Order: sequence, then C-alpha cells, then structure tokens
Amino acid sequence: MGVSEARWDAGLLRAQSDAPAIPLPRSGARERTAVQTGVITTTVGKVIAWGRYSSLWPALFGLACCAIEMMATGNSRYDMSRFGAEVFRASPRQADLMIVAGRVSQKMAPVLRQIYDQMPEPKWVISMGACASCGGIFNNYAIVQGVDKVVPVDVYIPGCPPRPEGLLDAIVKLQKKIAAEPASLRG
Amino acid sequence: MSGAAGASARPVAGARAAQLLAARLPQAVLRREEGYGEETVVIAREHLVVAAELLRDDADGLYTMPLFVTAVDWPDREPQAPRFDIVYQLRSLHFNDTCRLVVQVTEADATVPTLERVFAGMDWHERECYDLFGIVFTGHHDLLRILLPDDWEGHPLRKDYVSFGEPVAFTHNLQWALPAQERPRDMPGASR
Amino acid sequence: MAAVMPPQGGPGGADPFAPGRDRLGVRAENDAVELVELGDNTMELNMGPQHPSTHGVLRLVLELDGEVVRECRPDIGYLHTGFEKSFESHTYQQCIPLTDRMDYLAPPINNFGFSLAVEKLLGIEVPPRGQYIRVIMCELARIGSHLVWFGTHALDLGATTPFLYAWRERETILDINELVSGVRMMTSYIRVGGLMADVPEEFDAMVEQVIHTFPKFIDEYELLLTKNPIWVQRTRGLGVITPAAALAYGCSGPTLRGSGIAYDLRKAQPYSSYDHFDFDVPIGTRGDVYDRYLIRMQEMRESLRIIEQAFRNLPGGPVNTEDRKVALPPRNEINTSMESLIHHFKLVTEGFRTPRGEVYQAVESPRGELGFYLVSDGGNRPYRCKVRAPSFSNLSSLPHMCRGELIADVVAVIGSIDIVLGDVDR
Repeated sequence: MGVSEARWDAGLLRAQSDAPAIPLPRSGARERTAVQTGVITTTVGKVIAWGRYSSLWPALFGLACCAIEMMATGNSRYDMSRFGAEVFRASPRQADLMIVAGRVSQKMAPVLRQIYDQMPEPKWVISMGACASCGGIFNNYAIVQGVDKVVPVDVYIPGCPPRPEGLLDAIVKLQKKIAAEPASLRG
Repeated sequence: MSGAAGASARPVAGARAAQLLAARLPQAVLRREEGYGEETVVIAREHLVVAAELLRDDADGLYTMPLFVTAVDWPDREPQAPRFDIVYQLRSLHFNDTCRLVVQVTEADATVPTLERVFAGMDWHERECYDLFGIVFTGHHDLLRILLPDDWEGHPLRKDYVSFGEPVAFTHNLQWALPAQERPRDMPGASR
Repeated sequence: MAAVMPPQGGPGGADPFAPGRDRLGVRAENDAVELVELGDNTMELNMGPQHPSTHGVLRLVLELDGEVVRECRPDIGYLHTGFEKSFESHTYQQCIPLTDRMDYLAPPINNFGFSLAVEKLLGIEVPPRGQYIRVIMCELARIGSHLVWFGTHALDLGATTPFLYAWRERETILDINELVSGVRMMTSYIRVGGLMADVPEEFDAMVEQVIHTFPKFIDEYELLLTKNPIWVQRTRGLGVITPAAALAYGCSGPTLRGSGIAYDLRKAQPYSSYDHFDFDVPIGTRGDVYDRYLIRMQEMRESLRIIEQAFRNLPGGPVNTEDRKVALPPRNEINTSMESLIHHFKLVTEGFRTPRGEVYQAVESPRGELGFYLVSDGGNRPYRCKVRAPSFSNLSSLPHMCRGELIADVVAVIGSIDIVLGDVDR
C-alpha cells in the first residue's frame, strides 16, 4: 500500500498488527506510534504551551462591527471551536484571550484597560480590525488611534472588518507564538 | 423618489405646520423658508414651547413624534446674524407629514428653553445637542454629557473645534508608523 | 466606574450616580415628562459596558429593590465615533463608507438613506433598475439584521440553537453582498447616483436560492420559539409600552409597531419604488416583547415577498443616473474620451458639488426611522449631516419599559428593542 492510497486509519491498523509505522509526512510520526503504546516524550514547556494555546478562552469584548464577524467566526461555517477558542467567557477573570473587536472610543478606553487588568496571567490580546489596530478610518477626536496605546497587543488583524478566515489566521499565529515562547514567561 | 412620480406631486413637507403656526401663533413665526419640497419655519425663542405644544395638540397638526433636535454652526454669520441654528424636526403620523422648526441663537447666549416636558424623547436629543455643541437647554432636569466622557472639554461639532486623531505617517514623520509602544517617548503627541 | 469618569456635571446639577443625591426618575405618561421621587432602600447595580447581553457597549445603572428594577439609567457613548464630525471633512462619496459603519448590522440601508438625501439635494433620479436593485439589497440587509437580532435575542434568553441557525442563513446573504460588492458586510454598494456597479451574472442564482429556501428556514425558527412555553413565558406581557408613550419617546420601527401603530416609512413615504411592491406591515397588539418578536419574524417574510417581486420584475437598463456631473463615466469611455477621463478624475478627487440648502430624508431601517438631515453650503462636502438614529430614540424608552420588571427581564427588553450601539452613539 503506497502512501497515496493510505487511509486515515491505515496507521491504526498497522500499529495493531505490529507492522512498522507508515512514514507520515509530518513530524510527530514517532510520537504517533508511541501513543499507541502509551508513552510520549516531550518537555514540560511544550506541554504547558500546548495546553495554553489549544484552549484559549476569549473574553467577550466585541465592541462594534468586528464583533459581528467574530460571532460569524464562532458559528458553524467558520467554526472557531476547531482551534479550541469556542468558549467565550463573559467574565474576564475566567478568560485568557482578549479579542478587541471594534473601535475603542475615548470613553471606552479606561474600561478596556480595566477589563484587561482583571484578566489573570497568562493573557494575550488580539487586536481585530483596522480600528483596534490603528484607529482605522476614524482619524478623529473620538477614537483611540490603536488599542496598543492602552493594552499590549500580540497579534494585529487588518481588515474592516477582517474576514472570519483572518481572525482564524490570527488565532493560529497566536498559537504559534505561544508555542514558541518559554512557559515561564507569563506567570 | 420624492415628488418625481409626476401626476400627483407630493405636498410640501411641513407646509401644514407652517400654516398652522401662521394662523394660530403668528407672533412666533419669524420667517418661512422653502426648498427641495420641504418648508422650514424660523421661530422666535420665547415662543418655542408654546409653538411645539400647539403643533402637538392641535387637531390640524398632531405632530406627536419628536424626531430630533440638533444644531448647525455658522460661525461666519456673527456678528450680523446668530451663529447657531437649533433645528427641531417633528413628525405627524396622523397627517403623514414632517415639519422643521429653527431657532437661531448667538454664541454669547446659546440657550433655548427645553422641550422635554412637551416630548419625552427630546430629553436625550437635547443632551446630545448640549454635548456636541454646547447649547444649554434651560429647564432640562439633568443636562449632562451623553456621548462623550463627563470630563471632556470642548464641544466637538462646533466648527472651531479641530478634530484629529493622529498624523498620517509619511517619510518625513515615519515614527508615526510604529506601534504605540515602540514610538520615541519624546515625540509630540506620542501619548495622546 | 465613578473613579474612572470623574463627572463635573452640566449646568443642570450634580453627578447622577453619586450616592445620597435626591434621585429623580423620569416617566412619560401620555407624552409629558413627569419627575418621580425614588426610595432610597435600593441597591445600585452596574450592568456593562462589557456585558454579554447588552448587545454592544451599553452601560445600564440599575436601581434594584430586591430583584425588581425601580429605575434604569442607560449610560451611552462608549462607541461614540464622531461620525457627524467626520462627514464634514469627507466628500459625499467618501462619506458612504463611513455610513456603513453606523448601523453595522444593515450597512446598505445606511448607504441608502444618505444617498437618497444627497440625491434629493441634487435633484437627480436613479433609473428603475438601480432602484429595484437597491430595494433588493436593502431587504436582504433587513433580513440579515433580523437574523442577527433573532440569534442574539434568543441567546440572551438561554436558547443557543437559534444563534447557530440564524447565522447559517446570514452567511448566504453575506455571500450575496460579497458577490456584488466584494465585501461581506460594509458593502458601500449603494452610492450617490445609483450603485457601485451592476450586479454580476451569478446574482440571479443566489437570489433565487434565497427566495426558495428562506421561507422554510423562517418556519423552522418559528417552530423553535413561537409556541415554546419557555419563550412565551419569558417574553409575553413584558416590557410593555403604550402607543402614546412610544410616540412621545420618538420610537419607530418594530418598537412602535408592537404597540399597534401601523407606521412604516416604506408605506407612508415610499422611496425608490417601494410603492411598486405589494407587502404588509405587521403590527402588534400589546406592545410587549413577544409582539415585537412576532413582528420581526413576519417582517422577514414580508422582505422575502418584496425581494421576490423586485427580482421577478427587474427592469433592464443602466443602474446609475445619466447625470455625468455626479456618476462616474463608464470605464470603456475613459479610454477614448478626454472629457470622461477628466470627469472621472474630478469626481474621484474633488467630488461633485451640491446646491445650498437643507433636506431631511428618512428610510425604514430594521430598527425604525433612520433619517439624514443634510445641510449643504454649496460645496463638495456636507456642511452638517445629522443622523437621526432610530436606536437612540428607541433606547430612551428603555427606562420606561424596564420600570417594575425583574432584573432578568431587562435583558429580554433590551433584546426586543434591537439596538445597535453604532447607531446609538454614532
């Protein structure tokens, strides 16, 4: 059976019949057969990072139009729960990701900071959309020109509003960022 | 589109209100202006409340729905003419009509009597007009800022209020293209 | 919150949220305002601006006597964007993308209202094909907005299934938006003088799909909620507003029609060929949350009727006005005619000028009467563009509706008014 004919469960059958593992075209092949026998070797840092990025819980912080696209991302067509980020928590004390979705007005900026401070470490911020990243099309008295003046931002998403795929891309990029940083860096 | 059907042209919006005021309260009407199928009545400030009540209660008016109150700032008119046009728009569902009243006030005396006891909906609209223009509605029970933070200085929609967020980054001021945390600390406006 | 926003108060008096101050509530009875003394054995609870059920950044300060709401003071402005100031520094066509972002659940309708106001000033008329396509896009936007309302309102009251179902249909509408304009939400498709461009060929198939499949989906939603005893118990008899009070507050749209007043701008002051179509305007009898729910469900069906009629009778011809001082010349002419090239350049950079004057043009948005009061000084930018936002006036009736209700019901009432904070705060 060549690789081109491999079925998704081919590796499973092979492992059960004690045949040598199919060389899968991605790293982790060794881990895969090891899982069948019940042992994985990795580092504590990697496990912690994996746990952190695979279950990001966003805090509900939809402000304006980007919030509607954020809701669309969480819905059935784009499905953010594939990435573990489905559970939107209303209380910031139970969340670790703040997706600032929408324009931040001058009146809202202190509230934004307060919600950010209420989130426990480790926490990350995605600035979704042009308004959150840089003020967007509103270069005027009322809008904070970029939410990074108020909170530190990890990933910026351009768009007005960004497509749901853009938000998913940002979550994947954030996951890679979390995987790359040392586990002891945040709390 | 408005009145472009040809055969039965739409009546001038607000003509009913203008006629009602001219007939019952002529001392209130300073001027009537018409344009684009709409008629505007310029009212004297001291008769505003009575005029609004008349439009609301009279059987020929029944303008019971308040649409908005706002202001238009014409700073170049001073000192010959008042600077602010306070514009009220009312709707009569009964006669399917909408009318516009205008009160003109100067900058030095930017006060108008409140209409919140005539129409409950004018409460918030007057607060918004105060917030954005600085027009004081005398007799309002709680005239506070509604859209901007309570400690905001200035009234943004006035023409002399310069509104800007941030300079656009070009090659001569390229530091503005950096994210906020990476900008030089002593750059003017860096902390706004 | 008091520490965050030190209030200085206006000319009227002191901070409304300071403890110990004489609490004055405002009640409207038969369209007059009455000041009422409140008791002081109450608890003050802050709801928002970050809250899952306020549909945006709305802050409510509730005075609670146990679980009963004695007074509810909305604190808005957390999404104030300064649209009206921004309008004054953009040309008319540049204002169209700004209008998209006010009522962000139905962006084409904002474009529509603004374009109609400017066209009134200019005295130009959009050709019939342009008018019909505008109607189709706006009614699709109305359905999309009602779907968001339906999903979020049900979600607030604990029903998670409608949320997922509603967005499944909304994706179809967003696909149509993307087809005609390239953008899912902020289409900027309806512009002064007509449309951005004529609809592509795939438009027909997609609108046919909507016409054929949506009625069944709306029946599905009704099956979930309309006779559901939990839903009925949570919404019937709640948040009642009398017709006189609704008028006094300036309510419009389903909030007004729920109280029995049959006023819809598409029927009363038809614009853009709405008088060519046959549709009904649903009204309620009791003015409660349940009636407003039923009205919006029926409005979705009526919108489908309008879309079908407009689509089946779609005339041919141009979509933009013939007036070359306003509409961009066709692309093929730009390559051959110097005048067209110059016109295009001037229109894009400088924009067209409108004559001096003022107009008020209102359209029926999913929330009510969305009006644009446009003042022109003869230039290429609006001198003053006041947006009469329906959600602003509808929200001012919230204290009236919430007084005496339980705190859990406040969420239901907010959902039934269907506010969009971009519309409220502008």
